[in-house]
Amino acid sequence: MSNYIGQSIKRREDDRFITGKGKYTDDIVLPKMTHLAFVRSPYAHAKINSIDTKAALAHPGVVAVYTGEDCGNFGVPCGWQVNFKNGDTMKEPTHPLLAVGKAKHVGENVVAIIAETLQDARDAAELVEVDYEELPAVTNPNAAIQPGAPQVHDDIPNNVVFDFALGNPKEEVDAAIDGANHVTKLDFKNQRLAPNAIEPRSYIADYDVTVDKYTLYTSTQNPHLIRLLMCAFVLGLPEHKVRVISHDVGGGFGSKIYHYTEEALVTWASKQIGRPIKWTSDRSEAFLTDAHGRDYVTTAEMGFDNNGKIVAFRVHSDANLGAYLSTFSTACPTYLHATLAQGCYTTPLINIDVTATFTNTNPVDAYRGAGRPEMTYMIEHLMDTAALEMKIDPVELRKINFIPAFDGVNQPGYQTQVALQYDSGDYHATLDRALEMVGYDQFRKDQEEARKNGKLLGIGFSTYIEACGIAPSAVVGSLGARAGLYESAHVRVQPTGSVSVFTGSHSHGQGHETSYAQFVADTLGIPMENVDIIHGDTNEVAFGMGTYGSRSLAVGGSAIMKSLDKILEKGAKIAAHKLEAAVEDLEYAEGKWTVKGTDKSIAFGDVSLTAYVPHDYPEGLEPGLDFSSFYDPANFTYPFGTHIAIVEIDKDTGKVTLKRFIACDDVGNVINPMIVEGQIHGGVAQGVGQALLEGVDYDENGQMITGSFMDYAMPRADDFPFFETDRKVTPCPHNPLGVKGAGEAGAIGSTPAVANAVMDAISHLGIKDIQMPITSERVWKAMNS
Amino acid sequence: MIIKGKYPIVASTEDVWDHLMNPEVLSRITPGISELQPLGGDKYLAISKIKIGPVSGSFEGELELKDMKINTHATIVINQKSKIGNVSAEIKMQLNTIDDITEIEYNGEAKLTGKLAMMGQRIIGGVVSTLSKQFFKTLNDEMNITKS
Repeated sequence: MSNYIGQSIKRREDDRFITGKGKYTDDIVLPKMTHLAFVRSPYAHAKINSIDTKAALAHPGVVAVYTGEDCGNFGVPCGWQVNFKNGDTMKEPTHPLLAVGKAKHVGENVVAIIAETLQDARDAAELVEVDYEELPAVTNPNAAIQPGAPQVHDDIPNNVVFDFALGNPKEEVDAAIDGANHVTKLDFKNQRLAPNAIEPRSYIADYDVTVDKYTLYTSTQNPHLIRLLMCAFVLGLPEHKVRVISHDVGGGFGSKIYHYTEEALVTWASKQIGRPIKWTSDRSEAFLTDAHGRDYVTTAEMGFDNNGKIVAFRVHSDANLGAYLSTFSTACPTYLHATLAQGCYTTPLINIDVTATFTNTNPVDAYRGAGRPEMTYMIEHLMDTAALEMKIDPVELRKINFIPAFDGVNQPGYQTQVALQYDSGDYHATLDRALEMVGYDQFRKDQEEARKNGKLLGIGFSTYIEACGIAPSAVVGSLGARAGLYESAHVRVQPTGSVSVFTGSHSHGQGHETSYAQFVADTLGIPMENVDIIHGDTNEVAFGMGTYGSRSLAVGGSAIMKSLDKILEKGAKIAAHKLEAAVEDLEYAEGKWTVKGTDKSIAFGDVSLTAYVPHDYPEGLEPGLDFSSFYDPANFTYPFGTHIAIVEIDKDTGKVTLKRFIACDDVGNVINPMIVEGQIHGGVAQGVGQALLEGVDYDENGQMITGSFMDYAMPRADDFPFFETDRKVTPCPHNPLGVKGAGEAGAIGSTPAVANAVMDAISHLGIKDIQMPITSERVWKAMNS
Repeated sequence: MIIKGKYPIVASTEDVWDHLMNPEVLSRITPGISELQPLGGDKYLAISKIKIGPVSGSFEGELELKDMKINTHATIVINQKSKIGNVSAEIKMQLNTIDDITEIEYNGEAKLTGKLAMMGQRIIGGVVSTLSKQFFKTLNDEMNITKS
């Protein structure tokens, strides 16, 4: 009956997903529903002289046409305030629902057409005449801050959103780099990525005039956050009049965290026309307008002493935030990024300096890893590059610099130079296991042999750490977050003993309905079938901060545990009454309370029934067995691990083939190993995608030239070997389940491992570095120049 | 996108110039162009159908000739609109006389927007080069057939 924790139980939700029974927003059809299509800017930067909508309005089936002038006062906010180094507030321009005055990136919403059918809306959209005056555009974050660069927002000089620094005083870091025995320096671009969730964004707004209430169906990762942002900061609606529902969502990877202009627009317009409105993005719109990831231009330097010990780490990055500030965009290159600059190493001096810039590109925000992959790439790529330059084995170089093991209980957490305190870690353990899995000594012999035969084999390492379980509200609040980052859970025991769990976290591929039910059933000692997990509806779930930053189990799961504690505590009082014993004399196991040392017991279901039919009941105790909790974590969690890639490079074509990929991760305790492994696999695939294939490019006029799956290379199954994975377990010391989070680890750890493997294969040919994505063309050019 | 190249035509510079400045000839030999209506002066309304990779569309817009020096050089300014995106280009054309051959040298830049830019840009360089060659080959053939 119990012991579900640790079992690879097949996911309950998969039956509906793989048999077409999932309920996605676009599947919903409401009576009298209308459809919306956008006219989007074809220019990256253009003055809008005039908009003629007459022909569109006259088109059959058209219900309404709106431009920026109709809803120009509404703008979506940024959720995280980062200040300039001098304390000034960051530059935060209005992000209008429809462009006002100027269009600032290709794909920006300019006109909204609402019609009886989608086809009518699209046909009418083609009849809208917009008189644009094209202006020069800028797309590169470094070019944007040069004198004379085109100004994205007329009132924001030099396109600077803010400048930011974290770590030790710059003079000390500079002096240490200057005095270092060896300095490894890399200049690179961490390229822009398109998230490409399989389900495009979809929204339906339904205003009900009879009760003056709105319902928004949305493909979001955090329905309550969308409701809060939209009601309080965009449309000025009272939250109790707005219900946000997010049923099944087909992948997010961060891109569905944010409050998008289209969500607020359909909600506003639904009241204007008094009918439901649906908008579903097509794939081209998704490429243009789903918030992108990464896009930093970076110079990173690491100084070493003559024993290979890191003496200092110094970085300057220009981070591209796009034309407007998306919800968490400002946190990505700062507090989700610079705070990870310690890596797994004892680096004594660190300075991370970032300038965030506006450009005429789609907004950039958190994408699987959010700032941490960028930091991990620079640290880990520097480590392998430094090892090659200093002729030290990359494994040895890491071992010299690792923070020694600490469990956070018997040894204190590790205080970094960049604000965080790591909870627990044993970095040697995952590295040693991964080396064992790969057969490192044998590989080096094989590599030497292969080179003699004219073959290029390489191995690359990444010993990453990340910060998950975002996060203590007081900490993130002090860093500029405009929301708390706790989680809520409501556990309702039904009279007959079955259990409904209402969680504020949201599952969009993570399998919460299974893994949550596993630990709830174990904690209560009841069958998993008796536990139902409910999420994604603001009318059912009291509140929630949603799912991102690998936080669901660590934060949301902990909130559930708090409610379960309260249920067992109250249940014990009822059980004690029924068993005529003292609470202290009871023990709870396998779904029943037993008087210690006797065979007198009462089952969970009998206690719950008593709670709802309280005829024979403890005096003064309220009926019912139903508890809500909010859990605010004490710290982030810090999963870590070792990823190793082995690649072979074709000498004639430059094609990189990933031969093996080994991942030994430590994500703390594991509820469902299969789900964790699936998360690692998916993350690794995305991380390898960045290393070898993916990249959003804009041309010099700001036109996106990678706007389809023919131009944007998504990884496919045949790009990968079968991943070899294993785990070590260092429990999180500060949450009840001891879990750390596994959603982003794969994407964070894998990218530098692959890039390092490529360099290991070809650096002996005199090649210093190759920019990502490491395509055949780039490798071939490097080998032939 | 830079558009640049040279093509030798076996004809006199005067003949080549006359052909290039004749809208009737141009609309016949330019790939994709179905109509070239004079709008007065050196402006024309151009209507064309072009298919590039996965995108195809009907284009309509102005074509203007400027900075003209007879038998020597001209600049073609094109602004074409379509439902799949817009094309604007400015291309300088220079005629060089080399013995009995006229070399047409062209150099300019084209800008694309919309789906055309998103989905066609990576292959359009090759397409433009192919279309240019096709244009000049047809011009060369036409002139040499006319002569004989």
